[in-house]
Amino acid sequence: MTWTPLVALGTLLLVAPLLPGLAAKTKALLTGRRGAPVLQLYWDLRKLMGKGAVYSTTSTWLFRVAPVVVVVTALLAACIVPLDGHRALVSFTGDLVAFASLLGLGRFMLVLAGLDTGSSFEGLGASREVHFSSFVEPALFLCFAGLALASRDLSLTGMLGSPLATAWPTAAPSLVMIGVSLFLVLLAEASRVPVDDPATHLELTMIHEVIVLDHSGADFALILYGSALKFALFGALLVGVLVPRATVSAPTGIGLLGLGLVVVALLVGVVESIMARLRLSRVPQFLVAASVLASLGVILLLMA
Amino acid sequence: MTLFFFGIALILAGGLSAALLHRRPAMADWGFGLLVASGCALGATPAIGVLAGRAVSGVSLAMPVPGGPWAFGIDGLSAFFLLVVFGVGLASAIYGLAYLAAERGHRAVATSHLLTAIELAALALVVTARAVVPFLIAWESMAVLAYFLVVFESEKADVRRAGLIYLVATHTGTLALFAMFAFWGRSAGLLSFEALAASAVSLPAQGALVLGLALVGFGIKAGLVPLHFWLPEAHGSAPSHVSALMSGVVIKMGIYGLLRVVNLLGALPPWWGWLVLVLGLLSGVLGVLWALAQHDLKRLLAYHSVENIGIILLGLGMGALGTSYHLPVVATLGFAGAILHTLNHALFKSVLFFGAGAVYRATGTRAIDRLGGLAGRMPLTWIAFLLGSVAIVGLPPLNGFVSEWVVYQALLRSGATRLPIHLAVLGVAGLALIGALALACFAKVGGIVFLGTARTADAEQGREVGAGMLGPMFALTLACGVIGLAPMLVVRPGLAAGALVAGLPADAAGSAGTEVLRAMTWIAILALALLLLLALGWTVWAIGSRRRPMARKETWACGYARAVPRAQYTASSFAAPLLASFGPITGVQQSRHGDVFHSHARELVLEGVALPLWSAIRGFAWRLRPIQQGRLWGYLVYLVAALLLLLLYLAASGEGTPP
Repeated sequence: MTWTPLVALGTLLLVAPLLPGLAAKTKALLTGRRGAPVLQLYWDLRKLMGKGAVYSTTSTWLFRVAPVVVVVTALLAACIVPLDGHRALVSFTGDLVAFASLLGLGRFMLVLAGLDTGSSFEGLGASREVHFSSFVEPALFLCFAGLALASRDLSLTGMLGSPLATAWPTAAPSLVMIGVSLFLVLLAEASRVPVDDPATHLELTMIHEVIVLDHSGADFALILYGSALKFALFGALLVGVLVPRATVSAPTGIGLLGLGLVVVALLVGVVESIMARLRLSRVPQFLVAASVLASLGVILLLMA
Repeated sequence: MTLFFFGIALILAGGLSAALLHRRPAMADWGFGLLVASGCALGATPAIGVLAGRAVSGVSLAMPVPGGPWAFGIDGLSAFFLLVVFGVGLASAIYGLAYLAAERGHRAVATSHLLTAIELAALALVVTARAVVPFLIAWESMAVLAYFLVVFESEKADVRRAGLIYLVATHTGTLALFAMFAFWGRSAGLLSFEALAASAVSLPAQGALVLGLALVGFGIKAGLVPLHFWLPEAHGSAPSHVSALMSGVVIKMGIYGLLRVVNLLGALPPWWGWLVLVLGLLSGVLGVLWALAQHDLKRLLAYHSVENIGIILLGLGMGALGTSYHLPVVATLGFAGAILHTLNHALFKSVLFFGAGAVYRATGTRAIDRLGGLAGRMPLTWIAFLLGSVAIVGLPPLNGFVSEWVVYQALLRSGATRLPIHLAVLGVAGLALIGALALACFAKVGGIVFLGTARTADAEQGREVGAGMLGPMFALTLACGVIGLAPMLVVRPGLAAGALVAGLPADAAGSAGTEVLRAMTWIAILALALLLLLALGWTVWAIGSRRRPMARKETWACGYARAVPRAQYTASSFAAPLLASFGPITGVQQSRHGDVFHSHARELVLEGVALPLWSAIRGFAWRLRPIQQGRLWGYLVYLVAALLLLLLYLAASGEGTPP
């Protein structure tokens, strides 16, 4: 038993709140502002943990359980991803379905917690969240199918490990398409432009932010941490596809993962500075593009 | 087998006791409950034995009717379906006692219990029959009894209409089955399943006609798109325990029939597998989209049955393709996925229908937009309904995840094979879409019905239902949890049954089967870890928040302090954007009259195809009226004329001459 998967998991848990800060800083610099400190989310989390919470008279136990579910499911999903580039803590055939379903459970509880408040704002956010995720999920599974085809393995450890590294020379076009598709999935799952705008201040235009409008204090801290973790998780998947680290040692792999995550965050910041957010009715088209791209990658692999 | 028949006899005795003792309600209920429960337990014993690996000898009764002896037997496939019949059937019967108690006095409650008991017996005989004649008798009894169970509230016009549509649909299906068995039996000689299997090789075009007729006959019963049109009507109008029985068990007989036909045929042409796969995708996606468009809680659940039949057919289609292309791993996993999802869907869908029935009993309405805030008033029903929702959406740590995982395995493993079956790997996108849409739909149901605040006075008067309804609900929820936490309990026999359907030895999946079972251990560990971490996290959280100040205020509405319940999101507004992006196939019609906005979900196949077709047939039949004089001598003339014509035909073709 080696400790590197555990170390990698710890690293991911530690650096996750850095990514939204990096993206925001990039955006600020590119648009000629100074912006908030990169470590802002850490300070926010610390501040919120010390604060009390206000609960709606309408909400029930579910509202208070949901933040815990969001973090726990993201944590378990992280155990399935080979973060050090070699192996994950948990790996079995078909674990990719468990990865997606665990995150699905978190989403389900978060959406229900939004509806638990009985507010039409949260209803609006919940409706949009399930709407867009219906288009994200097929894209994610097509990406997984493509990776499974390229690596001839059905566990994330194999799909992002050494079998993938050997597949790169022959399957490069497909893998690039899958990478791009995964990046689009990441933008949607991490609630970034052009799907959602974390910087918006108008509730009517929000998606993720408005579901959690009523959460406060430590509950809100958990939610913020959970979504940062989700950002990092999809970032780790993307890094795993584009930079297979099976040939380097595990500590180097962890270092490369950190570097890759920083690049992903910067990239997200760049996208946010050069693109406007899409009109809500256009978002499904954007997400379908991710599915089409991934299925193109899969079909190319099938033809090979 | 003796135990099994003894169990059937006890169930029938239970039904009789409900009918005979109807003047003594308490005694009748106890008699019915105890007899049916012990009957189901006895009947399920040999099935569990078969799943554990023991063989059960069949019986064969000589009958003075054409078609050979009546044979009955239990194999791995029958055993799974028997578990569904006895498990969910028993829960429905017990739930029905409490559910119908309020109707005693002004409706035929005792008759309904009696019919439920006979229905259970018929269902059990359908899955154990090993000859055509007893199979068709049991099949038809099941179908007709279900009609009487559905039209329980027969004074309502829409219930009678739903019953009639169901009756016509099911008889069309039976007709297709008669044609199928008649055609098949002609080449077999004897009408036992054994003889049919032996003659399968001599069927023209690899049994194309048999497979096509099976798909129509069993497909109508299963409710696959586009043959589903009767299903939302019937399941929505029936009493809730009957809806559970119909959705959980009766429609699964269609799946059983398809699996049995595949099992008997042995070899399959590839087009059939592809057709089933495409029909599965269609049923899954359209079923869940139509469910999203519904405003009636039980109709919504009924459309989810269409969706889940779609998922089952995805597995069945993969199994058929694996059989056609000689890929034992894909075949075993596909059929196993179909069988396991059948079992799981029966469990969680019944929980959901029981929950919907409890809501209906408590509030008097099934209109989702009239409810709200029931989580506080019916906390136990809400917990069961929530767990049922998590299961049906296919999320860990419950059973829906396990069987969807197996179907995913079948789809993904086809990718590593050769042209053209590896194209099926693209089906994962469809299954993922179905799962995500189901999540949207159950977020809508749970959120609008149980969370928020009450939208009407109906919802405000909701109170928790009694133990008679909660008991069966939680018993089945527990079963969902057990399968979720210890999936190998069902997946191991599931793989064996899948191999049996494909006509392969039990270990046909080889190393892939071992990998799957190893994965089940991991899934069990993940599910357990999830529960433990949630409990731990929640405890730490609760202790931590004791030190922090906490306040209760009304929901933050951005400074607006007069939020009224009416301003909450509704089922329609929640689903509207999603439905809009799928366009007209959802069947949603919106209209505005002045200030009133109205949205209505049409049943496209029923209103667009089935009813117009029906009225065309009726128009044609009207023209045939002159030959129906209603006088006996007229019919005798027809009889003589028909016999004469038949004799003439036989004489001309020379078939009738003795050798």
